[in-house]
Amino acid sequence: MPADPDGTLQEITGGTIQVGVTAAAGEEGNWVQLQPGTEPAGIEPDLVRGFAATREATVEWIGGTEHELVDDLEHGELDLVIGGFADDTPWTKHAGMTRPYMETKDERGKTVKHVMLTPLGENAFLLALDKYLLAQELQS
Amino acid sequence: MSAGHNVQAVHFGNTRLPEEQRETLRKAKKLEWITIAFLAFTVALVYLVLGNSQAMKAAWIEDMLSFLPPIAFLVAARVIRKPPTVQHPYGYHRAIGIAHLVAAVALLVMGTYLLVDSALGLVTAEHPTIGGVELFGRTIWLGWLMIGVMLLIAAPPVFIGHAKMKLAEKLHDKVLYADADMNKADWMTAVAAAVGVAGIGIGWWWADSVAALVISASIANDGVKNLRGAVSDLMDARARTYDNAGPHPLLGRIDDFLGNTGWVGEAKSRIRDEGHVFHVESFVVPREGSTPTAEDLEQLREDCVDLDWKIQDLVIVLVPELPEEFLPGVETGGED
Repeated sequence: MPADPDGTLQEITGGTIQVGVTAAAGEEGNWVQLQPGTEPAGIEPDLVRGFAATREATVEWIGGTEHELVDDLEHGELDLVIGGFADDTPWTKHAGMTRPYMETKDERGKTVKHVMLTPLGENAFLLALDKYLLAQELQS
Repeated sequence: MSAGHNVQAVHFGNTRLPEEQRETLRKAKKLEWITIAFLAFTVALVYLVLGNSQAMKAAWIEDMLSFLPPIAFLVAARVIRKPPTVQHPYGYHRAIGIAHLVAAVALLVMGTYLLVDSALGLVTAEHPTIGGVELFGRTIWLGWLMIGVMLLIAAPPVFIGHAKMKLAEKLHDKVLYADADMNKADWMTAVAAAVGVAGIGIGWWWADSVAALVISASIANDGVKNLRGAVSDLMDARARTYDNAGPHPLLGRIDDFLGNTGWVGEAKSRIRDEGHVFHVESFVVPREGSTPTAEDLEQLREDCVDLDWKIQDLVIVLVPELPEEFLPGVETGGED
C-alpha cells in the first residue's frame, strides 16, 4: 500500500518516465531552464533525473504551456510535470502534488513551498517520488 | 458550571427538579462538556491528516456538526431555568425545541450537500491523491495516519453515547437523546472513512467516494430523524417517550388518576410536551349528583401535579361532558 489505480510506478520502473517541462527560472532559483538542442537544466530537471535513476527509468522530456501539460497529465499522457510550481498552485483539481521539497521566500517575503505535479490518484508513484524528494537535503 | 452542589435547588421554569433529575442533569452537563472537549481534540486531529480524501472530509464535517447538539443542550439547559414572566407566561421550555430544530436543519443541509458532493466525485471519477508525509524523519504514506486516527477516535463516542442515553430517559430530553443516538453511531463514520482510505491504498479510487456517500447519508438521515422529532414537538403533537418509541405513559396515568378520584365521573387530558415538562389541560366530568367546590378542584390539581415531576403546569376544566372539539378521538375511544 498504496497502489496506483493506473499503474504509473510499475510502468516507469525500468521503462520511460514522461515529464512535462515548462520554463521557470528567476531570481529565487533556476527551477527549470530550457534551451533548444539541450536537455532541460536546473534544480527540478536534476531532481527528476535523480529520481529516474533510482527507478532505472529513461526520462522523456515534453515541452509545452502549463495548461497543455496539466491537461496531458490529467489524461494519463504524462507522468510528471515540473515548472517551478508552488503548493498553492491553482491546478490542484487537475493534478496531484508532491510534498514541498524546498522552501524559498519571494520578493514580498512570503514563503514559497516548491512542489511537482503528479497524476491524480497515482499514490504509489507519488509516495515513491515524495520519499526520494524528502531524502534530498535541499537548501535554498 | 453552575449546577454544582446538591443543596442548591434547580428549577426548569416553575418546576423544581427532584433529586434524581437534578443529579441526572448535572451528569448530563458534565458529559456534554466531555463531548465538546473530545470533539475539539478529534476535529483538530482529523484536520491534520485530512488530505484529499472525500470520506475524511465528510467525517470531519460530521465531527464539526457534532458540536451542535451538545451546545444546543447546554444553552437550552440554561435558558429553560428562567421562571415564567409576563412576556413568557408558559416559561422558556420551548428553547430546547428550537435548539433541536436548528441542529436538525444543520445536519440535513450539510448531509445533503455532502451527499451531492460525494456523488459528483464518484460520477466524475475523481481519483483521490494521497502522498507521503514526514514523520519522525521518515516518509510514510499519509493514508496510514488517516486510518490510524479514524480508528483511534472511533470508540470513545460509543461509550459517551451509551452513558448519555440513560440520562436522556430520566430527563425526558430529546436533544440529549438525539445527541446520544448520533454518538452511538459515530464509530460507523470513523470506520467507513478508514475503509475508504484503505480502499484508496489498494488502488480502488472509488472506495473513497463510496465511503463518503455512506457517511453523508448517515448525516442526512440524522437530520431527517431529528427534524421530524423537533417539528412534531413544536407542533404540539401528542407527547411521546424520549425516544419517540410510543405515546408517553403519563398520558394514561393522569387520566386514570383523575378518573379514580371520588367525585370524578370521567376525565381526559391533552398534553403538550414542552421539552422536559408537560403542560396539561384536563377535562373533568363530575359524577352525577356531585357538586365539586373550588377547593375540591384545587386539591385535585395539586394531587395530580404530585404524580410526576414533569407535570407542573396543569389546568383542570370542569365540563358537563368531554368535549370532542378539544379532545379529538374521545368519542371513538381515543386511539387514532
